[in-house]
Amino acid sequence: MAKKKELDIRATLLGLLAVGVGVLAWQMIGTLGLVPKALLATPAEVWAALIEILHEGYRGTTLFENIAATLGRCILGFLAAVALGVPLGLWMGISKMTEASLNFMVQFLRPLPPLSYLVLLILWFGIGDFSKIMLLFLTAFPTIATASMAGVRQVNRKRIDAARSLGANSRQIFHHVLLPGALPMIFTGLRIAIAAAFSSVVAAELMAASNGLGWMVFSASRNMRTDIILLGIILLGIFGMVLSRTLVAIDTHMIHWRGYD
Amino acid sequence: MRPRTATAISAAVLVAGWLLLTLGGFVSDLFLPPPSQLWDALVDLWQEGYKNRSIWEHIGQSLIRVLVGFGTGAIVGTAMGLLMGYFKTIDSLFAPFIEFLRPLPQLAYLVILIIWLGIDEASKITLLFLAALPVAAVAARDGVRNVSQIRIRVAQSLGAKRSHIFFYIVFPSALAEIFTGARLAIGIVYATLIASEIIAGTNGIGWMIFDAGRFLRSDFVFIGIIIVGIMGIAIDRLILMVETRVVHWAGKQ
Repeated sequence: MAKKKELDIRATLLGLLAVGVGVLAWQMIGTLGLVPKALLATPAEVWAALIEILHEGYRGTTLFENIAATLGRCILGFLAAVALGVPLGLWMGISKMTEASLNFMVQFLRPLPPLSYLVLLILWFGIGDFSKIMLLFLTAFPTIATASMAGVRQVNRKRIDAARSLGANSRQIFHHVLLPGALPMIFTGLRIAIAAAFSSVVAAELMAASNGLGWMVFSASRNMRTDIILLGIILLGIFGMVLSRTLVAIDTHMIHWRGYD
Repeated sequence: MRPRTATAISAAVLVAGWLLLTLGGFVSDLFLPPPSQLWDALVDLWQEGYKNRSIWEHIGQSLIRVLVGFGTGAIVGTAMGLLMGYFKTIDSLFAPFIEFLRPLPQLAYLVILIIWLGIDEASKITLLFLAALPVAAVAARDGVRNVSQIRIRVAQSLGAKRSHIFFYIVFPSALAEIFTGARLAIGIVYATLIASEIIAGTNGIGWMIFDAGRFLRSDFVFIGIIIVGIMGIAIDRLILMVETRVVHWAGKQ
């Protein structure tokens, strides 16, 4: 164990070193004037932009407001997709008939790039928040439904038979065998879905929004504020990591038996 | 009732609903065009193309971008991932950047790429390259890490050199995961491409959808979405076909 811990510390230190060298090189490029100032803000300028936005906001919106707008849309759309996708996926997994009636629609939607139907959603529901949340719902839903269905399908038949022969009714089999058996795969689906939804929310905000981090980056690009663009990219990267880490943490907490099966 | 019948009934209900809504005059053609109008639009696109370019040119443009961006990103990413899996130090040095890039919404850095490289092909190809790179790298790294230690030991005890072990044991064993990564990557690249064509395109199938949307030509939008869907499925199938050819032993170990 001690050896492993030592290795982990070494890896972290090397990682920090690499990031440090990267940031230093980035700063030097600016300081030495290797590329025009307008094209690349230095880390110091990005830091200054963060302080500026924290104090004064960006074009009438506070930083917190923009973060809340992006994360709020993303999480709302995602939760709606979970609320509908998991039950529907489970139902399709249990009933062949339900699968036959509905799955072809889900499978048509699944590989479709979300932005392609955003145009249609805007046409139908206007340019407001509803069309964006709808977009994120549609981005996450097919992945979640498919994972839930596949999760039910790969539950070991022997376990179902064993439970039945011990006198479990179908309700009990669902709660104690099928649902726990499907959970690991459902969570894998949730992780893929939230990453896709987060990508889509930023794309949607670039295209049509008046707040959110994606909008901030896009608006900054119009004004050639590369410091704010880079700040936005860094913030989005951090929130992307936070979202995926959060789901991994919930996953390891809830599905503690993953890999022991 | 057989499952096939259920699918047919469900699809029929869907089409009937569409016909009822459009032909019954419940929704405007602007929002949901009737089948006849879609057919006319398809014929129109086929014969006339869209905005001075044939439909094949738009499709071709999009496919070339996907191919070049994905190809370069997957090759560089896989090479990086193999090195990262093989050498702990390289992994520690690269990991922070890869871990940062992977969950980062691709469109976020399109904006800065456009400022740096202009709005033409270079920024789009770089975008797709960066979209494919971290996915391919992580898959290759995990592939190398999951190689059975016993196989490596066996080869070593039979006197294999380091390079032999890499080319005959590690690389082939990692290939299955590399291909899984490639399928994941091309899905992301394709979705990113369509998004980038919509946000900053002047041609390509994604741009066609966006442009048609601006002029409220929902019939072209629908056709565009269907073409995009079919292309996506075709690309995925193609990779799957290559995969089953190359890694014919996957799942049989």
